[in-house]
Amino acid sequence: MANVQDILNSKGQNVYAVSLDDSIESALKLMAEKGIGAVVVMNGKTISGIFSERDFARKTLTIDGFNLNLPVQNVMSTPVFFVHPDQTMEDCMALMTDKRIRHIPVMEEGKLTGVISIRDVIKWLIADRSFEIQELERFVSSKPHVGLV
Amino acid sequence: MTLVRDLLAQKGNAIWTISCQASIKDALRLMAEKKIGALVVTDVGYVVGVFSERDYARKAISFHDFSVEMTVDQLMTRRVLYCIPEESVDECMAIMTQRNIRHLPVMDEGILVGMISIGDVVKTTLSEMDNRIKDLEDYLWVHMI
Repeated sequence: MANVQDILNSKGQNVYAVSLDDSIESALKLMAEKGIGAVVVMNGKTISGIFSERDFARKTLTIDGFNLNLPVQNVMSTPVFFVHPDQTMEDCMALMTDKRIRHIPVMEEGKLTGVISIRDVIKWLIADRSFEIQELERFVSSKPHVGLV
Repeated sequence: MTLVRDLLAQKGNAIWTISCQASIKDALRLMAEKKIGALVVTDVGYVVGVFSERDYARKAISFHDFSVEMTVDQLMTRRVLYCIPEESVDECMAIMTQRNIRHLPVMDEGILVGMISIGDVVKTTLSEMDNRIKDLEDYLWVHMI
């Protein structure tokens, strides 16, 4: 089972972030430019929250005087659920399903080292899962006295 | 092998649609109410597009004077990729990754019968994964003693 660090090694450890007082518009522009669905929101070197397409869609209607120039602080989500690099992709799947989120920041000793997205999960599933099951099946069928029905 | 049909049986086949002339505000409201990320867009009963959170996030900034009173057809995606009930969930995963989409309407002989999301796919794969690998491991264990 691959762990989070393996995925970060292959996808890259880019973290796209904005500051608390950056505008919603600038956050959306960054997301469009990088082809991503969420950005981490920083207060200096500390993570304050996460702003996703879902936050944008949901909070457009709930914030008084909503406009694209508001600071992203007003629409971000907290708390931020994260994983450690040595956790498994299955842990990520479980966290995403349970908390209904599509992005999970990766923290190592208090430092943000990457973000895992639901797309990374799907890509890994396509590549890895069938391999693992195939390997097990091949192992079982190689034993002369054991056969799969 | 899990098929789309099985997934719909588990999650239900509710489809939420909106008229292409409805406002973005109404579309967002419906999505929030139903806790979903995309709507099928219709024009007098015909499917004409899909409107998703991604369409909203990407396109709201492209208009000089964006307002939530604008109509859905101004921001929706017109090209609708869909799947059929007989397709496997694995195939849908591949489509979603390749085409960078998170929702697939399900069409059965030209009729809209449901919608599956990337979240549905992950959820079902998670439980399937645990069962399948666990079954095989039990099997190995039993026969190795």
